[in-house]
Order: sequence, then C-alpha cells, then structure tokens
Amino acid sequence: MDKNNVKTLYDLVKNSAACYGERVFLKEKNGKDIVEKDHNEFYEDVLKVCGFVASKSEGRTVHAAVIGPTSYAYLTAYFGTVSGGNVIVPLDAQLSCTDICELLQRADVEIFFYDKRYEPMLDQIRISCPAIHTYVPLQELSETVSAFEAKEPESISPDRLAAIVYTSGTTGKSKGVMLSHGNLIDNAMCMDNESTEEDSLLTVLPIHHVYCLTCDILLSLRYGCCICVNDSMLRIGQNLKLFQPTTMLLVPMIAETIYKQIKTAASAKPDVPIKAIADAVFGGKLKVIYSGGAYLRPELAQAYMELGIPISQGYGMTECSPRISTGDLNGSTLGDVGIIVKGCQVKIVDGEITAKSPSVMMGYYKDEAATAEAIDSEGWLHTGDLGYVEDNRIYITGRKKNLIILSNGENVSPEELENKFAGVEFIAEVLVYADDSVITAEIFPSPDYCKDMTNEQVADMFRELVNNINKTVTSSKTIRRLRMRNVEFDKTTSKKIRRNQEIQGDLI
Amino acid sequence: MFEKFKELICNYVEADPEAITEDTKFIEDLGFTSYDFMSLLGDLETEFDVMVDEAEVVNLQTVGMAVDYLEKLVSGK
Repeated sequence: MDKNNVKTLYDLVKNSAACYGERVFLKEKNGKDIVEKDHNEFYEDVLKVCGFVASKSEGRTVHAAVIGPTSYAYLTAYFGTVSGGNVIVPLDAQLSCTDICELLQRADVEIFFYDKRYEPMLDQIRISCPAIHTYVPLQELSETVSAFEAKEPESISPDRLAAIVYTSGTTGKSKGVMLSHGNLIDNAMCMDNESTEEDSLLTVLPIHHVYCLTCDILLSLRYGCCICVNDSMLRIGQNLKLFQPTTMLLVPMIAETIYKQIKTAASAKPDVPIKAIADAVFGGKLKVIYSGGAYLRPELAQAYMELGIPISQGYGMTECSPRISTGDLNGSTLGDVGIIVKGCQVKIVDGEITAKSPSVMMGYYKDEAATAEAIDSEGWLHTGDLGYVEDNRIYITGRKKNLIILSNGENVSPEELENKFAGVEFIAEVLVYADDSVITAEIFPSPDYCKDMTNEQVADMFRELVNNINKTVTSSKTIRRLRMRNVEFDKTTSKKIRRNQEIQGDLI
Repeated sequence: MFEKFKELICNYVEADPEAITEDTKFIEDLGFTSYDFMSLLGDLETEFDVMVDEAEVVNLQTVGMAVDYLEKLVSGK
C-alpha cells in the first residue's frame, strides 16, 4: 500500500480493498463455524454504515458510541461512523451501567451501537441519555444498513476528530482523549515492513484500547494480514490451535500465563523438546509476540527468546495513538521498551519522558485544563513516566503519576478508590495500592471510634465496606486484598500519606 | 470433577494438590492472575465439552464455587 495515498481512516479501508481485495480480512467464530470476510466486503459494509449514520445526522457531525467485544460488526460500525467525518466513542465493555451512562452523556453521544448482551441496561440508558436517538444492536447491524447504498463519502480533512477514547486519569475521573484521523494514521504508518499479507494475527486485547485498534486493526488493514478474532479470554489456547496465527499482540500477564502452561507441560513430558511443546500451544506458526500496556519482565522476554518466539516490546499511551516506541528485535537489550518510532521526538524533562509527534492527541474532550497540563505550550506531551533514552531506545525507570498499572495493562487510579472511603467514621486513614498486581486497601482504623471494639469487629466492618465499594466499580478495579495497621501512615510535610512506603498492615 | 480441577490448577501455580480445598481462593490463596483463572476455565471447557459464559464466572472466587458451576453446566448438557 502506498502510504502517501492514506490520510484518513476511510482512505485506509478504501486502499486496503484496492490492494488486498478478495484476501481474507477477518475470521470469526459463529457457533462452531468460522465466518470469513474479505477486504472488498469490509469496504462495502463500511460504506453502508457510513450512509446509515449520515441519514441520522442531518448534515451535522454526530457522535456514535460502540460497545462490545471485537467482531466484524463492531469494526464496520467503527469505520462506517468515522468514514463520513462523524465521531466514534468506543466504550470499555466492562463498565457498569452507571459509568456507561455517564460517558455517553459526557461524550455527547446520539447513536449507540451495542452488543446485545447490554440489552438489560437499555432502559436505564434511555432514561439517562435522552440525546441518543438511534439504537442499533451490532448483531442486527448488517440488516439495519442493508438498504443503504455503498456510496463514497465526501472527503474529509485529516485534522478532523475521529475518536474520543476514555482513559483513566489520576484525578479519578476518566478523560476523553480526542484522536484525529491524522493522529491514528500517523501512528499506523510511522514504521515500515512490520508485517506482510501472508501474516495472520489473533486479536485478544479489548478493542476499545487504542493499542489494539492501531496495532491489530489499522496495521492489518495496511499490510493486508488476516485478523482472527478471539471470541473469549477463556479460549485463547483453543483459538491459537484453531487459527494458527503468525503474530500476536499481548499484555505481559497473558504471556506469563501461556509460558507457565508451556513449562508445566514440558516438565510432565521431559522427552519432548520444549520448543515442540511451545509450537503445539501456539499453533505452530507464531513468529513474534508484540507486548505493551504494562511492564514486561526481562526474564520472561528471555524465556520466550529461548522458545524461538521473540517478544517485541513497545511503549506508548492513548494520548499518542498510542505508539511512542516500538519493539525492535535487532540489538534489543531486554531492558528497553523499543526504539522511538519515526516522526516522534522524545525529550527528557526533569526525568520525565515527553513526546512530540503527529500522533499526539488533539486534547481531552471538553477539558482544556487537563489538556494544558498534558501538552505544554510547545506541543510536548508529558507522559508521566520517568526514564531515559540511549541509542534511540527508551528505558523506563518509574512512574511519575500515582496510577496503578496492573500487569494486565489496566490503569487504576488509587485516589478514585480512596475517595470511596471518605467520611467513613471507623477509618482514620486509607491507602490503595497494588500489591503483586492485586489491588489492596490498607487502613489505619480511627483509634477513638474503635476503642471499644475488637480487631475482628473492625475487620468485619472493613470487609463489609469493601464488599459494598466493590459493587460500585468495574471488575478491574475490585479491591481484593485488605490490610489493617495499628500505626499511622508515614506522611509528607504537607500531611499527605506517602505512596511508596513499606507495607505494615496485617492481612485480614 | 474436583480432582480434575486440582490437577489443572497445578498447571498454573506450584501448589500441593492435597492442600487445595473447596474453600481455597484462586487469587488470594493460589496467587492466580485473572487471566490464569480464565485460561483454567478454558481448559475445563475443552475437558468437559461445555460452553462457559465469561460474564457468569467473574465472581467465582473459590475452587468450590467453580466446581459447583462446572457441575451444573455438565449436568445440564
């Protein structure tokens, strides 16, 4: 594909049809069958959705949300919306109904594409979000848009807003990252020769993440590789054998689990070479794993290298569409997070990594203050990560922000959870942190309030409180470990609890 | 069923099968990650030829709860 012809997401879909036509674009399961769609079909279906969205917009730009697992219908809804210059708002499939309503309101959504499993939430959404005038279940998308002509839309500027992607923020309230067509296309086009049309990939990560969108979907459209949809996190093992992918995008936690399985199988069968076992687990054709979203242990990268399947580690953030650096297996030191992508400049300011590139977001939706905090007056994006650059490779040393990054790549704001303990009389102080990737709440009970209680009574109240709090948060934010201490937390001079202090509380 | 669970659990963590009881918690006691847990259920799907619903299993915290869930699926086949 000549990347000079591609300035918008629509251009990408159109060019992929022109270049790869009848080659398979996507494979997904339907019961026990596998359904295949080629690039021509995808282009045509995107145009129909584009016509459908235009018919609902009456000449205005409208915002459409989409929620559900990765599917052909999800992608046609996504690309059909943006192709005509309208805006897509991909939502986290794990959000609670309350959070979904809040984001639909904040993002000014008028059209809602949803997987049918969200039907029980619709009554509440209709009440909370009166601005939404059109509801389309993804399972019925094809019939809904079948009457629309597959007509080429008017061309749009690459500077136009394409997507609002909600991401966790340190203040507890998620922020809507505005990404233009130019941002996403720049990130998909910044490197060359990453894949070929002979490649196929198993897409396992949540599709609302830009990491998955750019690296699984946009790159597949660009290079013509085949996307195989993993229908459930339960079935990665089965689907690897079924689809036999050549590449895969993972977060470290999944890579860890698969490695454990290989190792256990190897010790049960000492006569079989471990590489043969790895081949059986991965389907036999896997050449490389791309890892991102969280810290990858160098030992794990080394272990995979010994299996003959190198892990290529990159680095980025939603605000940068997302790649700032990308895995480069030539000369990798196992401690770096890849080479800086072309067109991106990286500068270290007071130890913090800052980046400037055409992939840097337009800003946060309706949040100028947060935008000004993230992007300085010269256009540098402040990542909040601490690190350094050597030979064009980025090394991360820590995080400036307090965000908890779990090993599955999910970001959790400790302040958001701590705020839920505010005003609880029996608690004097609380700190939320990740302990071995398990979200932990540690409290110092109020000595006054609890003076006539046993430790067990206080612990019971604590457990009950956390159970109630857990009902109000998404599963990735669930507090699973509780600790109670009998001394106050160490504090800064301004009386704020220090975040990085030794764990003292007893497990309860 | 419980014995099969114990055997498969040991593919993910170094645990003494004899020490695993129905009250053993996957995350807190066995050190499972959420993906270990999902993957284990995927193995059990293949083993017992049933379809597990992802949304229904996220709240299964103990081995006993997971065994009960699987037993119901198998008996309902």
